[in-house]
Amino acid sequence: MKAMTLLDLVRGPLFFWALMIMIAGILWRLSGLIFFRLQSRAAKPKDDAPIVAGLRTVALRSVPPHELEKNITFQHFTGYAWHIGWFATFLFLGAHLSLIKSILGFAWPALPNGVIMVLAAMTLGILLTLWIRRWYNPVLRLISNFDDHLSVVLTILPLFTGITAFTHWAPFGTRYETMLAIHILSVELLMVWMPFGKIFHVVTSLIVRFRTGAAFSRRGVKA
Amino acid sequence: MSSTSASIPVESFEKRVSDLPHQGTSKLSPEEQVARAKAVIVSKLDSRSAMELETCIHCGMCSEACHFYEATQDAKYTPIHKVHLVRSVYRRELSPLRWFNRLFIREITAEELSEWQELLFNSCTECGRCDLICPMGIQITSGIRLGRQALAAADLMPPELRALNDEQTRENTLLGVGTDELHEAVRELDSQGIVVPLDRPKADVMLLTTVSDLLLYRQSFAAIARILDKLGLAWTIRSEAFEASNFGLLSGSEDSQMLMAKRVTDAARACGAKLVIVPECGHAYPALRFNAAEQLDQPLPFEVMAISEFLGREIKAGRLKVKKLDGSKKVTYHDPCKLGRHGGVFEEPRDALGALGIDLHEMESHGTTQYCCGGGGGVMMLAASEELRRRTFDIKMRQVEDSGADSVVTSCDTCRMTFERGAKLVNWNRPVESLAELVAANLAD
Repeated sequence: MKAMTLLDLVRGPLFFWALMIMIAGILWRLSGLIFFRLQSRAAKPKDDAPIVAGLRTVALRSVPPHELEKNITFQHFTGYAWHIGWFATFLFLGAHLSLIKSILGFAWPALPNGVIMVLAAMTLGILLTLWIRRWYNPVLRLISNFDDHLSVVLTILPLFTGITAFTHWAPFGTRYETMLAIHILSVELLMVWMPFGKIFHVVTSLIVRFRTGAAFSRRGVKA
Repeated sequence: MSSTSASIPVESFEKRVSDLPHQGTSKLSPEEQVARAKAVIVSKLDSRSAMELETCIHCGMCSEACHFYEATQDAKYTPIHKVHLVRSVYRRELSPLRWFNRLFIREITAEELSEWQELLFNSCTECGRCDLICPMGIQITSGIRLGRQALAAADLMPPELRALNDEQTRENTLLGVGTDELHEAVRELDSQGIVVPLDRPKADVMLLTTVSDLLLYRQSFAAIARILDKLGLAWTIRSEAFEASNFGLLSGSEDSQMLMAKRVTDAARACGAKLVIVPECGHAYPALRFNAAEQLDQPLPFEVMAISEFLGREIKAGRLKVKKLDGSKKVTYHDPCKLGRHGGVFEEPRDALGALGIDLHEMESHGTTQYCCGGGGGVMMLAASEELRRRTFDIKMRQVEDSGADSVVTSCDTCRMTFERGAKLVNWNRPVESLAELVAANLAD
């Protein structure tokens, strides 16, 4: 019987367990939050369309008012840039789409590899810049914790290992299969950490925006 | 600008405020302080706040919305940092991941509680501007309020707020002003031909007033009385519950807050009021309009309106007629945070100014994004915040000057006092006017 390679391990049982931990973790944390005690809403609302207000805040909170925007322009746009770059790399690289097709049975057109590599490198650069900024900016240094740093590292690793695997860069004579396995392992680490750290905001941020928009509307404020 | 009645033999409002205690120590042991603070957070934090605390990505953008951070560039004033204690207790005691979080997050200490008094009280006006910038949509002010409640339970509220809260809770007076002073003010207005229907057993409208109106801005009280009289409403003001200010809210003492709200709601019920009008007092509006119903967990059987909201509505509906000025008066409107971001009162005061033919020059930040005057949330009373107030006032002053207006109109005594104090410190010459007084001075015949 053929021995299981590292690549087999990360593609098989490790991926399965990472996925299970991610799903269970999300359900656990989310249900714990949703079924928490609710605040009284006995006050007569000023606006009787909180759902519309909530949806408006979901959309508009992506674009802060201009006099607030001018103070956060760098952070705001770099934030957008790396999120777009990261997800574009994940969702439009040909190799990833082959995997997606093997799982879902369908896929969508890929972007040229060269474009994806530029996006991935740009994203990596921005994430490293923002991480360095987190260490040196007084506000960010004060409010940062272990989760912030670990989450950045775990977000960077799939990009870095993906670029090395894709370009067949093989430090210390490492085989391509090993680099690919390390790449998949880095994704699994991210999946496992996702429900426990700040990356969980991908699940809750739109819900929070919606609830805030609805809460403000009850007081007659467009937030 | 302001008028202190000569007929009342009382010390000035400012003197009474400066006589408040500035220092005090808690009688509780450190262990009791921590236990009480934690108990408040554990028992009061709700689902919305919990999800918000789990969603913060520590981006720090909220710092850029805070006038205290902007004025000092000191990182400790970052709004989300002020919520750190609340978040720590939440993550250790309540979070779905508390078993995991306890590996990394230690217990809060009494020293930290004392340290956070400065951040939660002295350097936060609960203005809510940070709530508007957070890309996640986190309402940081809710966390600040809960933090204040936790510190209050730990007997760590600032001494000035503790003194005022205790006085209002026990004596139903503020700065020594109670029923006698109200009656005296009513008699004085009566001598000027302004009728204030005191303690009518039945009335459609119940008016509240404030200690600052009685001591410092008597003309504002008179203006509102003249307007209500002009409208021909069946209104009253009640001796047992005339004070709109709620120092339970400002000090973080929820029981006192509820007691003060209950005094007003009971009086309104007793006289059958369909409408309660909150005078030019910012925090009193959301305290009664929203918090009272939420605390009592039942809708109020009457409508609550801020006077600026009421004026705008009555003028727009054509029931209150005002003279149109010639348009040469260049004015900017300062939105009190508690009326605006906390109460949605933005359009009505502008409707009133428009009807008066005022040339309105908006500040760059106005409406939902306006800058706080620097004195809200009880900060105006705190001696320890004086330097911070002065520095944040510079921001407001620049905004007013850049607007090109000759004067500022607002509808909150605290904002007005903060403006006047700030102006006095730097010899700034822009007058600050009351919206109610402006309307009353221009009532059509």
